[in-house]
Amino acid sequence: MDVDLKKLTKDLAKLVGKENAFTDRPTALAYAKDAMPWDVEEQNIPYAVVRPDSSQEISRVLRYANEKKIPVHTHGSGTSLVGLGRPKTNCIVLDMGRMKGLEIFPERGYFEVEPGFHIAKLRKALAPYNALLPAFPGSELVATIGGVVSVNTSAHAIDATLCKPGDYVLGMEVVLPTGEILQTGTESTRKPAGIEATKFLVGSEGLLCVITKIRMRLIPLPYLGNIVAYYNRTEDILDTVMAMYKQGIPTPMFFEYLDEKSSKVGFEAVGLKAPPGAVAMITIDSSTQVGCEEKTRKFLEFLKVGNPIEAKIVKDKGEWAQIWSSRAEAGNYIYRLGSTFGSEITVRVDKLKEAFHEAQDIILNLESYKGNEFYSFGHIGAPTIHAYAFIPTKDIPNDVKKAVAKEVRDKTEELNVKYGGCGGEWGLTAQRATFLKKKYGEVYYNFLVNLKRTMDPNNILNRGNLEGWM
Amino acid sequence: MNKKDAAKETLLKEIARCRSCRFCVDVCPTYQASEGVESMSAYGRLQIIKYLLNGILEFDDSLTYFLYSCLQCRRCEVICKGKGQDIDICKVFQMGRSLLSQNLVQGSSNEKI
Repeated sequence: MDVDLKKLTKDLAKLVGKENAFTDRPTALAYAKDAMPWDVEEQNIPYAVVRPDSSQEISRVLRYANEKKIPVHTHGSGTSLVGLGRPKTNCIVLDMGRMKGLEIFPERGYFEVEPGFHIAKLRKALAPYNALLPAFPGSELVATIGGVVSVNTSAHAIDATLCKPGDYVLGMEVVLPTGEILQTGTESTRKPAGIEATKFLVGSEGLLCVITKIRMRLIPLPYLGNIVAYYNRTEDILDTVMAMYKQGIPTPMFFEYLDEKSSKVGFEAVGLKAPPGAVAMITIDSSTQVGCEEKTRKFLEFLKVGNPIEAKIVKDKGEWAQIWSSRAEAGNYIYRLGSTFGSEITVRVDKLKEAFHEAQDIILNLESYKGNEFYSFGHIGAPTIHAYAFIPTKDIPNDVKKAVAKEVRDKTEELNVKYGGCGGEWGLTAQRATFLKKKYGEVYYNFLVNLKRTMDPNNILNRGNLEGWM
Repeated sequence: MNKKDAAKETLLKEIARCRSCRFCVDVCPTYQASEGVESMSAYGRLQIIKYLLNGILEFDDSLTYFLYSCLQCRRCEVICKGKGQDIDICKVFQMGRSLLSQNLVQGSSNEKI
């Protein structure tokens, strides 16, 4: 597409102010790359970056882009691990960083937040109201609430206990690709029955609209009890999760694991002695302290089913913080040692063990690279397994990085198809057009394409994500 | 390999250690002062130096602004270390400035800088 950059610069400056419109190449490049392992290519580089601070400004930008048929890529903080943060076509980047308004209405039972507000800061702002923010991404220091709601990810939290953030969204203000501003949902804590736009706009990954305000329930903060359990083998943890669902044991809020190798990296990263094998970290929630203590004690008793070497309740906050952060840091510190290529396996729970073994087999027998290692960790209680191919060097050519990422992705997605699962945390459509077709068929995929076409006739929003790009 | 090429390779290797986690973006005081422009953050600067060294970016006036506005406060390095990567970010900027200044002296169109 031929875009007159000088004219674009002038036009965008008129729409959002000169100080919030950038067409210089260094700034465009700073927004082009994300955590996908290979470097940017020419088509990823934006024409411009704009930084609007109101839905009216966003409306003006979208109206303009739609008229000129220029793609627009919405940017929260760019921390997606599956490529959502990277523009797939030359475009205008809509940086939501200035949209940081927050109003908390305890008397109405909700808060209203703009999409650029960071998760960790939002959690802190809600704390005086004794409210729980139902999303726990590993990147919460920088991740935005707009990104979380756009992907509808609760991240670490177990769906069976806490549901998804979208289940707590009462309404939204969104801007359509054609520039109209819509209000959805309700100001009541009673959610609307029947057909209602909030439900399909939450989790639409920026393909259908730009979210400019989110109204979310204030969820009373539960009491929490923590357990750490040490195992000889990861298999024992998988047995435990399968038994938990089969026996109808109440699921905890968090149930994380580190496999035998990841636990060593994670524990040593936070200054703890390497454990003898795999580790599970569990957090139990209850609305009362007595209930929480009882539930935690009962869960500890239940854990005997997996024959842990040791399982114990951790009451000391400092000790728990250290154990918990070992899980968070494991991924970071494994990466430090080389290159990692991740996957998300969220199969039917009765097939968890089979899927795990097959994933291990896939990762250890890659065609695109020989000699890599296998690491795994994740939100096993959900269940989610993050199976990683680890290559002990960073010096890998771009085409090999791409080939490994694609092979890991394609083959682990086959497991999700085979065992009834579908990505549960990282977002679906960024690189998964082929997955959608494989799992649900052409009719389903075309339904999504038609929905996108209805709302975004010129396909300006996040172009390339639904089409697939890997 | 001459001295300059060796320095360039060292620098690109160090930058290649970056995971693009972006944890260093928010802590950068110049990013905060710019009200959140990512080319004014540590992560943005790492990208800019990489693209200058591999030829995707050509030197122009705006680049001096991005590269020389770093205060060398090392807040980015603290979070980078905390998140496991421990990249010598400020050293990368210093070496980047040094290498690119040599370009400036030699380059004809940017001598005014």
